[in-house]
Amino acid sequence: MNVIIDNFDLFFQGFLKTLGIGLICMVGSLILGTIIAAFRVSPVAPLRAVGTLYVNLIRNCPLTVVLFLIAFGLPTIGINQSYYFFGCSALIIYTASFVCEALRSGINAIPAGQAEAARAIGLGFTQNLRHVILPQAFRTAIPPTGSVIIAMFKNSAVLGVFGVSGDLLGNAIILTGSRGFDPVPVYLGIGFFFLMITIPAGLVLGYLERKAVILR
Amino acid sequence: MTAENVAPGTDSVASNDVAKPGARTPLVTMTSVNKHYGALHVLRDVNLTIGAGEVVVVIGPSGSGKSTLCRTINRLETIDTGTITLDGKPLPAEGKALANLRSEVGMVFQSFNLFAHKTILENVTLGPIKVRKLKREAAEKEAIALLERVGVATQKDKYPAQLSGGQQQRVAIARALAMKPKVILFDEPTSALDPEMVNEVLEVMTSLAKEGMTMVVVTHEMGFARKAADRVVFMADGQIVEEAEPNAFFTNPSSERARDFLSKILVH
Amino acid sequence: MKTSTFRSAPARRSAKVAAVLAVGVLALTACGGGSDSDSGGDDPAVNTEATFEAGTTMAKIQEAGVLKLGTKFDQPGFGEKGLSGDPKGFDVEIAKIIASGMGIGADKIEYTESPSAVRETLIIDGDVDLVAATYTINDERKERISFAGPYYVAGQQIMTRSDDTAITGPDSFKSDASLKVCSVAGSTPADNIGSYLANKNQLVTFDVYSKCADALKNNQVDAVTTDNVILLGLVGKSNGAFKVVGDTFTEEPYGIGITKGDVEFCNYIVDTLKKASEDGSYEKAWTSTAGAVEGAVVPELPTADACA
Repeated sequence: MNVIIDNFDLFFQGFLKTLGIGLICMVGSLILGTIIAAFRVSPVAPLRAVGTLYVNLIRNCPLTVVLFLIAFGLPTIGINQSYYFFGCSALIIYTASFVCEALRSGINAIPAGQAEAARAIGLGFTQNLRHVILPQAFRTAIPPTGSVIIAMFKNSAVLGVFGVSGDLLGNAIILTGSRGFDPVPVYLGIGFFFLMITIPAGLVLGYLERKAVILR
Repeated sequence: MTAENVAPGTDSVASNDVAKPGARTPLVTMTSVNKHYGALHVLRDVNLTIGAGEVVVVIGPSGSGKSTLCRTINRLETIDTGTITLDGKPLPAEGKALANLRSEVGMVFQSFNLFAHKTILENVTLGPIKVRKLKREAAEKEAIALLERVGVATQKDKYPAQLSGGQQQRVAIARALAMKPKVILFDEPTSALDPEMVNEVLEVMTSLAKEGMTMVVVTHEMGFARKAADRVVFMADGQIVEEAEPNAFFTNPSSERARDFLSKILVH
Repeated sequence: MKTSTFRSAPARRSAKVAAVLAVGVLALTACGGGSDSDSGGDDPAVNTEATFEAGTTMAKIQEAGVLKLGTKFDQPGFGEKGLSGDPKGFDVEIAKIIASGMGIGADKIEYTESPSAVRETLIIDGDVDLVAATYTINDERKERISFAGPYYVAGQQIMTRSDDTAITGPDSFKSDASLKVCSVAGSTPADNIGSYLANKNQLVTFDVYSKCADALKNNQVDAVTTDNVILLGLVGKSNGAFKVVGDTFTEEPYGIGITKGDVEFCNYIVDTLKKASEDGSYEKAWTSTAGAVEGAVVPELPTADACA
């Protein structure tokens, strides 16, 4: 267990890096996921098609494939960015497809009359989404979206072997690999620090869920 | 209300002569409107003109197409053939123009459809602020006045689920009125209410009618039809079977279908 | 001075020189990929006469009739397993030499994949008798296991694109902080290069070297660093796109990992390897595997550290 105390620096830096990646990707995937969800319920058929295609392609691909295609595919067509950028982009693109579906389930759970009433007072599609549909969909979608976001925090570990160094898992690999520490306590430590991210996230979610409950 | 009471006992089904809007300017006209749900022909060659300030009550057995007819007027339902015009202009296709049109056509739903995540006041001010581009203060002032008129101003900071059905429906009427519509469509506004709440809603509607609001009301409330309607439209199987001034319709319906329908609902 | 550091041993200097020479030869001839070595069919002669003192590891292994070997399954030239068959490479051949001295034939070796992170654990738990897996001897590892050897001294080097002139060695990274260098996460080379960098963001890590090579090819990184033998394998596969630059700047003595404190087993391994060096089987193990990539230059067996 000394390995955790002796290398607390490395763990803590990794924790901050992983937390940072997670927060950036959370915001990004919530925004992108909302846009894709809007596409999927749009009255414009081509937008719906784009949204459906996006979800069906991305959601059904393993994250590492998405990551690989972005990190190694984009440079071959001349787009060179940092692996941090590529990694976060891939995680956002991947997670957004799940956020989209969680949100869409939230949208579908809203009685059709809500959208009709909004249309009846003259709100356009985007106004309808923004003021009537999405605020309610977000609330209904909090539990499934929360699960998606927590999964995303954990998925972010894969960036550690995709050109991003210094995150929790990357540092664990340094400790167990070149530094030769026993992996069991190292990974216990990694698990602990991940829990330090995901458990508070779960508590925040529970709080939001209670706050946002809509009486019907 | 109108001076033109047509003598009862007129046999004609060709209703355009009966209970005509007369001097009224036509506000809504439906011409040869047809609509299908798959194989089901829900509107069959419907022709209907609603004059400004007129109160038209649409009745008929369930499945007769009366709700569908009501919902085509603000294009919540699209039609297959025919034309519908509002103020002389045909209904635009989906988009900005349609949204503008809808803001001029109020709608009150059977299930109220108040925005569940917004307070009563916010429900009423949303349209004025976002569509009519009113300042919040002005919109709230108007909204409170409307809520007072329908008798629920004291509930303005509550959420819809905290109100009774009757209160919710009155809020829905205030929400429609807040858009200063040219016509309000009522789609079975009392059908989802407990019986003791029906009257409070009908009273609001009656007073609106008296003030000269143009209204299309789909309802089973024959009392309201008698008291407030300028004209009764009877539908069955997707067709307008009969139109008449209420007194004439209820005392001496000209069609067999209407007589049959009335006998079933008025017996008890 | 029993546990003298490997750096002071003159024999290892010569090994280093040999490695550098090999790099030079390759760079000059732009060697186009060594053919895959075939190590099968020519295994070391099994010493069926060997006797060991009862209770020693050697006696136990001899009695069991099998050697449980931990090696890499994904390290070209050292321990690489195809879709079928046993792993092949220099580490495997060295293990076969050690096995044959105890009367264990090549067909009696049981292979266990030993990725870097679990090598010590495999030894401590007794899942393997020994680990030969590009296993760099260092003090941290010695806390948990013991090493016999080294049997080879690799050295870390830098690989760049062939048309690159900016990078001449590890010191180039300090002078230009925009240069990026790639290695495998958690590897000793990734750790070592740290002290040559202006900032730690210059280091890009992946799980395997093939991704580093891809990243180098499409300009995401400017260099790849790891042990020379691995780089040479990558240069060989690159069709002239990559080159190795500069000298080796570390020494990575590869040892055989065994149970901590098993001095008898360690001495046996050291002696066996020494004999192998004298009778040419060490050289053959090299030339038929990693040496097929690196060229004709054969390393001399480094002088072993004292067993402890």
